[in-house]
Amino acid sequence: MKKSNAYISAALLALGLSACTKLDEKPYSEIISDNFYSNKEEVLSAVLRPFTHAGAWAAPTGQTGYWRLQELSADQLAWPQKGRHGYDGGNWIRLHNHTWIANEDNAWNPWRLMFWGAGFCNNTLKDLSAMDFAKIGMTNEDKASFIAETKVVRAWHYLKLMDLYGNIPIVTEVGEPASPATKSRKEVFEFVEKELKENVELLKPLSADMVGRATKAGGYAMLVELYLNAQEWTGTPRWDDCITYCNKIIAGDGGSLSGAVPALEPDIFRAFANNNNTSPENLFQLAYDLRAGNSRFGWQGDFWHYRQRQIYNADVDGNNSIVVIPTAYDAYKDNDLRKQKWMLIGPQKKDPALRTSVGDSLVLGTEEYNGKPLVFVKEIRRNSEGASGAGGMTQGEENSGARFAKYVPGKQDDPNYWGNDFVLYRLTEIYFNKAEALMRKNNGIATQEAVDLINTCKKRAFKPEDWAAEAYTATSLTMNELLAERGREFIFEGKRRSDLIRFGKFTTGSWWDHQPSADKYKLFPIPFKQTSINPNLVQNPGY
Amino acid sequence: MHKRSTFWARTCFASMVLMLFSLFAFSQGKNVSGKVTDANDNTAIPGVSVQIKGTSSGTITKADGTFSLQAPENAVLIFTFVGYLPQEVPASASAMNIKLAASVKSLQDVVVVGYGTQKRNEVTTSVATVKAENFNQGGSRSPMDLIQGKVAGLSVTRTQGNNPNSGASIQIRGISSVSGDMNPLIVIDGIPGGNLDLLQQDDIATFDVLKDGSAAAIYGTRGNNGVILITTKKGKAGDPQYTYSTYLQREAVAKRPSILSAAEYVKVAGATNNQGADVDMYDLLLDKNNLSHYHNFAASGGTANSNYRASLYYNDANGIAIENGRKQYGGRVNVNQTGLQGMLTMQFNLAGNFSKANLNGGNSGGGDNKAGNAGADFEQAVQRNPTAPIFGPDGKYVETNGFNNYNPLARLRQELYDRDQKTYSGDVRLTLEPIHDLKFSAFGAIVRDEYTDRQYKMKASRSSIQDFQGGGYAYKANSAAMDKTFEATVDYTKTVASDHTFNVLGGYSYQYSTLEKYSMDNNGFLTDAFEDWNISAGNALNDPKLPRPSQSSNKVDNTLIAFFGRLNYNYKQKYMLQAILRHEGSSRFGANYKWGNFPAVSAGWVISKEAFMQDITVINNLKLRAGYGITGNQGIPNYQSLITLGTGGAYLQYGKWIQTYGPNKNPNPDLRWEKKKEFNVGVDFSVLQSRIGGSIDVYSRRTQDLLFNYTAQLPSNILDNIFTNVGEISNSGVEVVINTVPVKTKDFTWNSDIAFNSQRNKMVSFSNQIYKATEQYYGDLPSPGNLGQAIRVVEGGPLGTFYGYRYAGLTDDGKWLFYKKDGSKATTSQINPDDKTVIGNGIPKYMASWNNTFRYKNFDLSIFLRGKFGFDILNLQDMYFGNKKWTPNNMLSSAIGKNAKLNDDPQFSDYYLEKGDFVKLDNITLGYNFKLKTKYIRNLRVYASGRNIATITKYSGLDPELQDTALDSGIDGRGFYPRTRSYTIGLNLGF
Repeated sequence: MKKSNAYISAALLALGLSACTKLDEKPYSEIISDNFYSNKEEVLSAVLRPFTHAGAWAAPTGQTGYWRLQELSADQLAWPQKGRHGYDGGNWIRLHNHTWIANEDNAWNPWRLMFWGAGFCNNTLKDLSAMDFAKIGMTNEDKASFIAETKVVRAWHYLKLMDLYGNIPIVTEVGEPASPATKSRKEVFEFVEKELKENVELLKPLSADMVGRATKAGGYAMLVELYLNAQEWTGTPRWDDCITYCNKIIAGDGGSLSGAVPALEPDIFRAFANNNNTSPENLFQLAYDLRAGNSRFGWQGDFWHYRQRQIYNADVDGNNSIVVIPTAYDAYKDNDLRKQKWMLIGPQKKDPALRTSVGDSLVLGTEEYNGKPLVFVKEIRRNSEGASGAGGMTQGEENSGARFAKYVPGKQDDPNYWGNDFVLYRLTEIYFNKAEALMRKNNGIATQEAVDLINTCKKRAFKPEDWAAEAYTATSLTMNELLAERGREFIFEGKRRSDLIRFGKFTTGSWWDHQPSADKYKLFPIPFKQTSINPNLVQNPGY
Repeated sequence: MHKRSTFWARTCFASMVLMLFSLFAFSQGKNVSGKVTDANDNTAIPGVSVQIKGTSSGTITKADGTFSLQAPENAVLIFTFVGYLPQEVPASASAMNIKLAASVKSLQDVVVVGYGTQKRNEVTTSVATVKAENFNQGGSRSPMDLIQGKVAGLSVTRTQGNNPNSGASIQIRGISSVSGDMNPLIVIDGIPGGNLDLLQQDDIATFDVLKDGSAAAIYGTRGNNGVILITTKKGKAGDPQYTYSTYLQREAVAKRPSILSAAEYVKVAGATNNQGADVDMYDLLLDKNNLSHYHNFAASGGTANSNYRASLYYNDANGIAIENGRKQYGGRVNVNQTGLQGMLTMQFNLAGNFSKANLNGGNSGGGDNKAGNAGADFEQAVQRNPTAPIFGPDGKYVETNGFNNYNPLARLRQELYDRDQKTYSGDVRLTLEPIHDLKFSAFGAIVRDEYTDRQYKMKASRSSIQDFQGGGYAYKANSAAMDKTFEATVDYTKTVASDHTFNVLGGYSYQYSTLEKYSMDNNGFLTDAFEDWNISAGNALNDPKLPRPSQSSNKVDNTLIAFFGRLNYNYKQKYMLQAILRHEGSSRFGANYKWGNFPAVSAGWVISKEAFMQDITVINNLKLRAGYGITGNQGIPNYQSLITLGTGGAYLQYGKWIQTYGPNKNPNPDLRWEKKKEFNVGVDFSVLQSRIGGSIDVYSRRTQDLLFNYTAQLPSNILDNIFTNVGEISNSGVEVVINTVPVKTKDFTWNSDIAFNSQRNKMVSFSNQIYKATEQYYGDLPSPGNLGQAIRVVEGGPLGTFYGYRYAGLTDDGKWLFYKKDGSKATTSQINPDDKTVIGNGIPKYMASWNNTFRYKNFDLSIFLRGKFGFDILNLQDMYFGNKKWTPNNMLSSAIGKNAKLNDDPQFSDYYLEKGDFVKLDNITLGYNFKLKTKYIRNLRVYASGRNIATITKYSGLDPELQDTALDSGIDGRGFYPRTRSYTIGLNLGF
């Protein structure tokens, strides 16, 4: 009796103790991945995570990523100090002057954001590879397609990382190896080429259903960019490969958002409009929709003045940051519609819906021009203090510089209000790239095909009556002119630095107050935050 | 079972023999009777043991304090009662009136040490005790205000002065963590993690502060930052007593920011900015008629075996700012009972607090008094164009046009932000003492903290027009935290061979906490009539053109389980030894490191009890203490070790917008507690008939395995940071407390107490085999300008180091020049981060306080001085607002004064660093105790007190006392919430 009592007590005690020593955590508001991937939507929600993340680095949405390095280090855009605003630790001045160092945010944050995106891809690949798709009612083709899409997106991250940093580690599995070693730019190039070529044909063609996704058209465009820059990146030109993939896109082999083949928009705004998810010009874009998806391509922070919402009847204001460099503004002729429409200059009017009286028609300044009309001027200098001359990076005012208006959101009562997708590749770029490859194959002399490709694009920017005087000929379309026209066409699209490098101008050219720098600045330094913890990383030459 | 019954039988037999013997003894003597009262307030004390010296016979006093017994001729009676000094009095035939004095000598005090108490003279660790009579006087928003400056090494700062809706930041012995919790563990009546809102100043009996690791180890993974044990007042046997305390308090601005007058402003900003009026907006945000009042009414009574205390309070706290108040009421009940022949005691506490806070005003710039964010009403008042009228001709509020400007008065009048909070706790402790000195105890507690936030922005408000298309905005949020605690302990005390005393404690502790939150908002209202009370009336729910209404909810939980033990040994109260071991696990840590061990050992030697000291009569007490303990810190967010997926925004899935999911942290199965190793040596002394006493403690501590959001190798990790254990911080310091009684006569006493401490903090390392770093940055400087981070900590360097450019003068046209690394001078566009260098340090090296109390007859006067020394302050207010470039906004007078030559935009450099050393006359209180000859009133005291009366400093800003408990200490915020002088008159009445 006594003994059995003891046993029972001991058992009870053990039971009690085990309950009393249990330390499991139960997450309520987060998901543990073991409990995820139970249907197609959940699988796809992981495949698409790198896409929402890419907005942070590929698009001008307020973080220092690929886009800012590409534009603020080049000859078209700058973020000058405007009085007490915009010094920001000298970050933007250093980007503009090419005086960045390894131990600063300009080197670190793009690396951080882009490898983070690549990490999402690695994680998705790891999880999907281990899954039995049949169990959740999906096919092996679905599996192959999702894996291919994720690999292409990862290759795109490496393509852009290689553009900025050149020699970088390649990691395809989460955590393996813990401290990966630097690979040469050539090895990275080969990795990107191999991944793209192995997977691009497994992707779905671009269609209205696939907007915002990595499709064949987008994958081909990545290959085009890779081959166009092959000479700079590896020393070996690949012009024919570049042309091959341009032709595939143009022929519609990659699909199209609308119609059988992609097509140039006749209207220069249409590819960027708040319904540009249906534009046949666009090949790969980051999808946003404020109304339907509660997600916004938020460019206003980087571009808009503190009061700019009044111009559009929008719901947000900006930080008055990035403006057009005076020499880039002057690179457009006055009759160029792109100068007139993609940029804001002069007095700014309030949207009629916001006016409280007839006289209340102008947007007013808040700083140097407090209470006075806000008039954007092309100069970046202290006009309010009577300054003259070229101005400079510390000489800005609240109204300095022409302003970004390539993307406009529409009014708040527009059903598509702020539905703009950020365009990563559009057909115009393929035309330009094919023309450039043709010319480079031809010792820098334009072929008629090249002239036609560029003219088809350029024609849209001029009124019919002006066009005859503006059309290129095989003689007028020099390599320098091609670079200048690329600039005019692709301003604000995050491509300028690579173009200047490919044309040999990035570190040797002068623009506005920028002086030639040194060869090493063609690459950004490997961030100190990584070289200090990963001994297998090799710093780029000169840093 | 069988054995136990013989035990009882034998005990009973022995008792009966004793009783018979007693009867026999009593029958021999005379009849003695009398009454025992408290020497202080003349109340009867029941339950006092009255023993005939040299015998075991005696009695106890009845409920009215009277006693009677038979005593032999020439007998001496010994009167003893817990908390009072024993008295020996010859038995006399006439009625004996015995007045027992409370045991005030600190050597006899009982110290709460966690899961038990010790006598002060047996304590071997570094424990400071502050009792009610030594609390800071005047009205206190936070209980921690009561002991500000009273404990060497304990830093208590109120960065928002007497804002009734701000808390105090508290820290013991410096910064011991980088990203973990830096606050001490608060234990209220045995509830770990107790809620300070449940405490009223009149309900608190003592604070006991466990400062060193050898003391705090009994609290294991929560002991790193020390432990503050708060004991509330309890029921006391005796006549039913009532106590009523009240005070009235008024705040007055201590120092106003000096800003340009309208005329001066027009001179600097130009006539175009002259809008014609002359408005002192700062003045308009002050509630100059503020008056706070407080009432606390307590009743206590009962018998030695069954007693209670209950208190009720009401407090209406008005801050210096408009729309800045807090009303609260609540109560606390304590019931104690001893039964089952004295073997079973129960203690029961119930406390509740209901408060309603107006959070709309008094906002000085976000919760942390730093950011220049949109809630910064006083910042707006300082920078508002003084010529701008409040109302326009149309009767609408005038908004000035500058960057980030708003009319603060309009915001306060057109918005609403309230918090309704309800906090309760209930605990019960059952203690069974089957045989003398063996106690089994079970303790259970529940603490619930709930609040509901309400916000409404009227349709006409600036925010509504700007962000919600003029449709108003309503918001509701709810937060509910629940902590459940169960603890069981066994405690046994045994004295062997009369000189060796052992005390053994063993226990188990289980704590489970949850926090649940939800919120919702809506806009597009047709009318302001509903405020937030009909949130579905907003059109945004069905009109996609309006800003989207949002909803959120969230829940987290965590568990903490521990087994612990403590052994105390003393030999003749001369040699003491204490050993502690806590084995504790936390759900927050990685699978590989859920559990840890936290041992401690300490020893004491009462030198003054040695034979060789007996002739040195000048020394009354001299004790040497030494201890070493390991504690932990688990104060990190939940779920940090797990692989979890978080949302990443919606993306298109074949035409549908669907949420994306991706990993939101790098998992770390090796995540574990921070571990602090601390060595403490101390001396307690008292000399000259205890006229001078005090203690000196020296400590050295190292926190290892610092929890740190570390930059991870990226790639190969997914995210750029991993929450992991890397690095080490060391703190070392000296604490000195000296209590003196310079004058003590019948009518006049003067007590003078000094507390001093000095500390050094060092970041020993950021690196281990995997993770390496050499520096970390803190203290982001706000917009406009975003001038980077002001503080850098390097491996091997001190914490709190200002790191920036060195001022090298101004150019002829007033532009900044800074020194480059090579010593040359350069302008702002030519400098880069490599030119920065160490320019100062923001953490005080020394802190001191000096309290003087004078008592003359019925008067008492206390004067309390407090100071911090050896640190620099970055004067952000001067940096941003003391600059002509701040136009079109108004600015500080320094813009046309000491900074007049500057004609450049704000830049961070040592130009704006100032010495922060200060001494404050922190509290003066004058009180009078009426000695009334009435049986109705036991005691009556009135007092008047002033707090924060004067500050002696060279710092040019508003107040040199900043929060100094964080890694970005020393940056004076841009907020301008006024620091105030508080004037209080109060009354305490006992009847």
